[in-house]
This record gives sequence, structure tokens and C-alpha cells, in this order.
Amino acid sequence: MFRAVLTLLLGAVFGLGFAASARAEAGGKVLRVLAWPGYADADVVKAFEQRYQVKVEVTLVDSDEALWALMHGKDAPSFDVLAANTAEIRRYMQANLLAPLDLSRLPNTKKQLPRFQALDSIEGLTSAGKVYAIPFTYSSMGLIYDRKQIPVAPRSMRELWNPRYRGKVLDFNSAQHNFSFTALALGYPHPFQLNAAQMRTIAHKLIDLRRNLLTYYTLPEEATAFFIQHKVALMFGNYGTQQVELLRRAGADVGYVIPDEGALAWLDCWSITRSASDRPLALAWINYMLEPGVSALLTQRQGLANTLSAPVDNSGSAHIVWIGPVEDIQRREELWARIVSGDRSEQF
Amino acid sequence: MLRPALTFKLSVLLACIGVLASGATGYYAYRANRTMLVNEAEHSLLTSTELLGQRFAASIDDVAADALVLATMPSSASVAQTNDGVSASPGRERLAQVYSSFMLHHREYLQIRLITRQHYGLEVIRFDRDADGLVRVEGRKLQEKGQFAYVFDTFAFAPGRIYTSPISVNHEYGTHAAEGKPTLRIGTPVADFNGSVVGVVVIDIDLAGMLKRLQSDLPSDYQVYLANEWGDFLVHPDASKTFGFDRGRRVLMQDSFSVTKPLFEQTQSEVLVNGLAHPRQASGQVLAFVRRPFGGSEGSRFIVLGLAKPLGDVLSGANLLGNRIIRMVLIFSGLSVLLAILFARALTKPLHQLAYAATHLFAEHAMHTLPLKRTDEIGVLARCFDRLRREIKAQMDALHAKQRELVHLATHDVLTGLPNRMLFMQKLESAIEQASRRDQGLAVLFVDLDRFKQINDQFGHSVGDKVLAAVALRLEQVLCAGDVIARLGGDEFIVLIEGPRVAQAAPGIASRIMDSLNETLLMDGHSMTVGASIGISQFPDDSGTAEELLLNADAAMYAAKSGGRCGYLRYQDVLDARRHEQAGFARARAGEGAAEGREAEPTA
Repeated sequence: MFRAVLTLLLGAVFGLGFAASARAEAGGKVLRVLAWPGYADADVVKAFEQRYQVKVEVTLVDSDEALWALMHGKDAPSFDVLAANTAEIRRYMQANLLAPLDLSRLPNTKKQLPRFQALDSIEGLTSAGKVYAIPFTYSSMGLIYDRKQIPVAPRSMRELWNPRYRGKVLDFNSAQHNFSFTALALGYPHPFQLNAAQMRTIAHKLIDLRRNLLTYYTLPEEATAFFIQHKVALMFGNYGTQQVELLRRAGADVGYVIPDEGALAWLDCWSITRSASDRPLALAWINYMLEPGVSALLTQRQGLANTLSAPVDNSGSAHIVWIGPVEDIQRREELWARIVSGDRSEQF
Repeated sequence: MLRPALTFKLSVLLACIGVLASGATGYYAYRANRTMLVNEAEHSLLTSTELLGQRFAASIDDVAADALVLATMPSSASVAQTNDGVSASPGRERLAQVYSSFMLHHREYLQIRLITRQHYGLEVIRFDRDADGLVRVEGRKLQEKGQFAYVFDTFAFAPGRIYTSPISVNHEYGTHAAEGKPTLRIGTPVADFNGSVVGVVVIDIDLAGMLKRLQSDLPSDYQVYLANEWGDFLVHPDASKTFGFDRGRRVLMQDSFSVTKPLFEQTQSEVLVNGLAHPRQASGQVLAFVRRPFGGSEGSRFIVLGLAKPLGDVLSGANLLGNRIIRMVLIFSGLSVLLAILFARALTKPLHQLAYAATHLFAEHAMHTLPLKRTDEIGVLARCFDRLRREIKAQMDALHAKQRELVHLATHDVLTGLPNRMLFMQKLESAIEQASRRDQGLAVLFVDLDRFKQINDQFGHSVGDKVLAAVALRLEQVLCAGDVIARLGGDEFIVLIEGPRVAQAAPGIASRIMDSLNETLLMDGHSMTVGASIGISQFPDDSGTAEELLLNADAAMYAAKSGGRCGYLRYQDVLDARRHEQAGFARARAGEGAAEGREAEPTA
């Protein structure tokens, strides 16, 4: 009141104007993106926001479980676009959470490598002739080892259990992959379809692994910190070459190897949720992600392969197991929570 | 008359200056007061924040002291060394009672555990908390915790040192009330007699509960912010912004409040910001942030605590003062308007007086109001003006006198002082006009002196002139004051007589003039008689115009003069005589005609 009166008084004499209020935030449209670290860096997001005059809200996930939990959150805002691996995409598709994609609105898919344009050949991306996801980046989950402590590259996942490295092993905190790669290590033919007896065996095997670990990690940066600080010798590289890049940048002399029994590999794709409020905007986001400049950042910054250019060190002979949908995620997660928290093997 | 424009303009100008001055003073007083209040609030907030930080650190130190007490219990090392948690052990049970009493007395402890180095970091004694109270976890339910940083990091510590974990959300399975809660873990090694670490004591603290207790005596309008060393919000008035890292979307303090950046870069230990000076950074708030190291010297763990107070609450005092200032400004503005009007009037009043005097330059009353006695510039101006006016008046008076003299000279005969012909004709014309309006008559007497030429020839011009003046004097004596006497030139005078019954009175007046002029004049020792002949013409009988009246009077005078010494004649008499003559002539002609005996012509 006082200010108003005074401004009036002074304004009448001086002719002061009110300063124009700051420009209102443009648009008001919000695109909610569920992505993994490194997929939507702040500068990339900003460029998109400026181009389309929208606001982008990026939520980062560090595990498939977290992604699933967010997609099913009760009070969480509904998401428009998400990035998930092929197995997860198939799971979301079956749960009727995804919307089919209009490829004509994604001109950048024409620039992708032929193997990623052949969407029918990749399991889990199409259904009833409709496309539900576009490949974006991929990586294998091999072993990362310290070349100083382990001069000869390990050849098997079983090295993780090697008591020589007790307290110097890192594992990724994820139910599905741990069960799957242990199954591979044990030589099971169907690592994604385990029976009860196999599950039990693997649970015990995972407790053994836990006892050999330094700790579990969730984010690549976290893993790098542990690796350097605690002189880790060996780790399950959930983020594959992405982590190798990070470690080397942090000064570690590390090697990356695909074990003989094979390595799990994920192919992350972009999809649009059925609840997306603005599908054209969501499509624009996916198309933007496939721009050479944006996709190349994946390789430059994260050491991840993109779908537009073939990787330089293509280990074609390596045994890659594309991850698929697992028999009972809930069961794996229940067991995993107890394993991680320290339940003893007698409890299983 | 001066228009009121100057007074008005001056009043408005002075009033504006007055209003502006009081308004500006009020406004700056208000501004200064606000800034002062906000600064004061900032400092008191900073003190509160520092205090809160100190209490937080002190509380952590208390927890650390508890952990140390438990770790140094005489039986701790042996229990840690010899136990697998399952087999019976009286020593462990005695120790467990101590643990349970610690849990009972510290409501913010979520868990207290003794963890052995053996069995992959197995818990030997563990107390949890749930909704009903304490829960002792025993036997096969005890878990191996060697894979957690709070265990393997604490193992690496020397006895007596304190490990402080990052603040995180507890995701461990089966932890009862602790599950999903923001937790801070304090650990310390348990050493045997040789000093080698055989186990650890870990206390889990309910961070939210502890903070709630710490801030319980803060005013209710304070809002608390807490961030870990990376800036992730752990406490925020908007709960959805806390523990963002646990949900995959980090919400950082240095992003929300960019002033806090130096705290995380460790270049500053406290920052203040307020919504008054930085409305973008702290909209509507006054904020104080303090970086507070905690957990002893191990590592560089710190928290950033922030307290916010609504700017509105801080400024409520200023608004009160502001209202008073408004009132004061309004009163002073009113006063200044009043004073401005009075002053403007006082200033322009002498101007009005001068202007009035200038427009009424020769009116004496206009001069009395001039402020001649003032000693200032206006007084000088008034005096100058008065002097100027006097000079002009004197010159104007002289001019008027000269003019009057000239007019008199133009209309009067110099010798006798009588009106001249021109003036007489004017008077005659106006008299005719007046007489015809009143339906009255008037008479013009043409007086011609009989013997003036001889007197002039005989005694000289100077005597002649004196005679003429004497004649004029006599005429004036004979006639009434209302009659007009004029000298036409030479020895001719003319008299105008007005009034009722003038026709009857004229011959009498003529005769009086005759008598007066026939009296002997004594001039320079010479005795003489002037004598006069007079012709009388009358209005309206003889003519309606001044010129004709004069001509007719002249003609009558001429007839009188040529008719011998009869003195005066009326023009009517002249006409009668002429008619009589013509009649006589006609009779004579008629006689001649009859003598010839022819015919008689009809008479007209």
C-alpha cells in the first residue's frame, strides 16, 4: 500500500514507469522424459527447449527396477518419453503402456545403421506390425578389470567369485542382470527363464559373490569412485564401455572383456507412453535424439555406441546375449533385496 | 488587471516542490528502514542457522560419543570376536541390554548394531525400532553387512575414530522403521587388547526426527533447508524436492539458490540473501545458509543448513512505519500546498498593485496601495514607478495647460478677451438647437460702432484698441451673464440673447446697449463718444440657421446705420419697410398705368 502510494506520488512527478515484468515463461508445455545418465545432458535438453519453446523435465533412472517403479508410481507425474532396453520395452508393450510410433514423423531414423533400421529383426520393438520403440544406444555388460592387478585378461564371469580378489570386486545393484549373468556363468542355457531350483542355486551363488565383493554400485560415477579409492580389481560392467571411458578418464588403467560364456548386452530404445499428453512433441524429442550431433555425444561423452555410426573396435566374434524378458521379475527382486541386505545363505 | 496565471503557476510549482520533497524524504526513509530490517533479519537468521548447525554437529558428536561408549565396553571386543550371533552367549546378552537402554533413551536412533569383522561382517547385536517400540533382531535373521561402506570403511579406521556416512535413504531389507527413512550412520571400530579392529558399532540416526527436535524452538514461520555436501536437498519445505537422487532426479541447492555455490566450493562458510535485494534468488524470503562440517576430522563431510523467513513477516514493521510515513507525507504535502498558495499570493500581491497602478496611472487612489515603504526590490520598483508616474503627470499637466491656452486663443479675441466669430457661431448653433428643442426663441444683435474709424484716425491705434476693450467691458456690464458677446472683427460686435420672451426683450436690450455706448468715454485724457448701430434678427422668425441669422442681423444693422440716427432696427422692421416701399412703388406704377388709360392688370 505504502509502496503503491509512493510510486504514484513519485510517478506523477517523475513519470516513472513500472519496469516491465520479466518475460513470462514461454509456452507452458512440459515434456517429461525418463532417461538414463548421459542420455539427456543439460545442454542437449536446453537446445531442445529453445528450439521447441517447451520445458523438458528429465528424470534419471539407474536401474530397470527404478524405471518400472517410476512408470507405475501412484503420485508421480506421468511421463511422456522413456528410454529402456529391448526386454523392458517388450514388458511395457505387453502391459499396454506404450503408444505406437509414426515413423514418418521420425525422419532421422533413415540415418541409422541398417541393422537398427530393420526393426522387425530386433525382438520386442514391434507388435502387430506397429513400431513401439526406436533403438538409440547399446552396450554389452562385460568385465572391467584393473590391468595392474590382473595382467592377463579374465576369460570368465566366474573370476568375480575368485577369493583372490575378495573385497576388491564391484557388482551392479540390479536383480535381473545378476541372476542372468550368474546363470550364464553357471552354464545355464536359458539365463532369462530360470526354474525354482536354478533360482535357489543362483541365490546361493550370489550370496557367495556378495561375500567376495567390496560393495554394490548403482551409478557409473559411484563405481568409478569405489574403483579408484578402494583399488578394485574386477567389476561387472553394467554400463559397459561407458564405464570404461569414465574410469580411464579418472586415471584407472582398465581393460574390458567379453567373457567366454558370453556377456549380456542391452539395446536402449526410445518409446512414447500411452499417457503422453503431446505425442508430436514426444516424437520430436525422439527424432532430436537421433540427430547426428546429439547421438554422437553418446560416444564422445559416455563411450556408448550410437545407432548412426559403426563402432571402431567392433569385436564381432564376441558372444553377445541380448537381454530378454525374464521369467518372474518380482521373484528375482525379492530375492535380490534380501541378498543385497545381507541375509545369510541359510535363509534361502 | 493581471490574470491569476502567475499566482496559479507559482502555487503549483511551489506545491510540487513541497510534495516532492516530503514524498522523496518519506520514500527514502521507508526504503532505508526496509533495508535495515532485512539486514537485521538476515543477521538474526544467520545466528539461528549457525546455532542450528552447531546443535546438529553437537548432536552428531553426542551420537559419536554414544558409539564410542558402546565400542569401548569391556565385553565388546570379545563378543565381536567370538560370536556368530546364533549360539548362546551370556556376555552378548549382557551387552545387548546396554544397547537396548541406549535405544530406549534416544528416540532418534533407528538402529544400533555391533558388527563383527568375521562372518562377512555379520551383525552380532542388533536393535531396530518399529511402531511399537524396540525390536531385537536375533539368530538367523541377523545379516552380513560387510558389503556396505559404513562397515568396510569403518573397519579401516583406527580405534577411537568416528565414521560418518553420507545421508541417504535406507533401502536395506528388513530394517523395520528405518526402511525408506533418511538416515545418517555413525560408526566406530571395536578393537581388542592388541588394538586390532575386530568389529564396529554402527548407530543409524533418524535424520528427520533429529532435525525436527533441533528446530522445535525455531519460530513457526521459519523454513528449514538442508543439503548434503553435493547440494542434494535432504530437507526442503517442499518434501518432493528432498532425496531427489534416490528417485533419479537430483534437486540441488546450488541450482535452487545460486548464491550457495561458494558454500559447496568451500570458498565461503555462510551466505545471506534476501528477496528485497535479489528478488530472483530469494523470492519473498530472507535466507541464511551455513556450511557446517560434522563428524569430526574424518573426511570432509559437511552439510549446508539454510533458514528462511518470509520477507513479508520481516517487513511488517516497515509497512507499519510506511503507513505512518504516508500519513506524514500527506499532511506535509497539504501544508506545503497551503504554504505555496500563501507564498505565491504574497509574492504576486505587490505585482498586482503595481499593475493596478500602471493601468490607473493618474488615479490618485491607485497610488495609495503601492508598497512604497518596503525595503526590498519590490519597494525599489514601487518607488521608481511612483517617481516615473509623477514626472509623467507633471509633463501631462503642462501639456494640458498649453492646449487649453491654444484652444482659448483659437476661439477668443485677443484684444477684448471676448469669443471670436468661430466660437460664437458654435455657440449660436448649439443655442439654436437647444431653442428649437425647447420651442423658444433667441435674438442675435449685430452691433457696429459708429465713430470708431474717426477715433482711430484721430487718436491712433492704441487708443482705438483701448476703446474696443472699453466697449467690450460696457457690453458685458449691460448684458446678463447668460448672454454671449463676441467680437467679429474691426468695430463689429455681436450679442446672442436666449431665454423666453426674447422677441419682446431684444429691442430693450438694444436700446440699453445704445445708451451705454452713447455715454462719453474718457480715454488718455480725451473725451469721446463712440455710438453704435444695432441690427436685430430673431429665431425662428427671421431664419432657422446661424449663418442667416447673422446675415439678417447685419442687414438690419446696415439698414439702421444708413437710415440715420435711429440706433437700432429689427430685421422684421427692415422687411416691413421694404414691403411698404415696394407697395408704394407698385401704387405709383399703377397710377401711371391708369393715366395711360388702358387696362388694369389683376393684382396678385
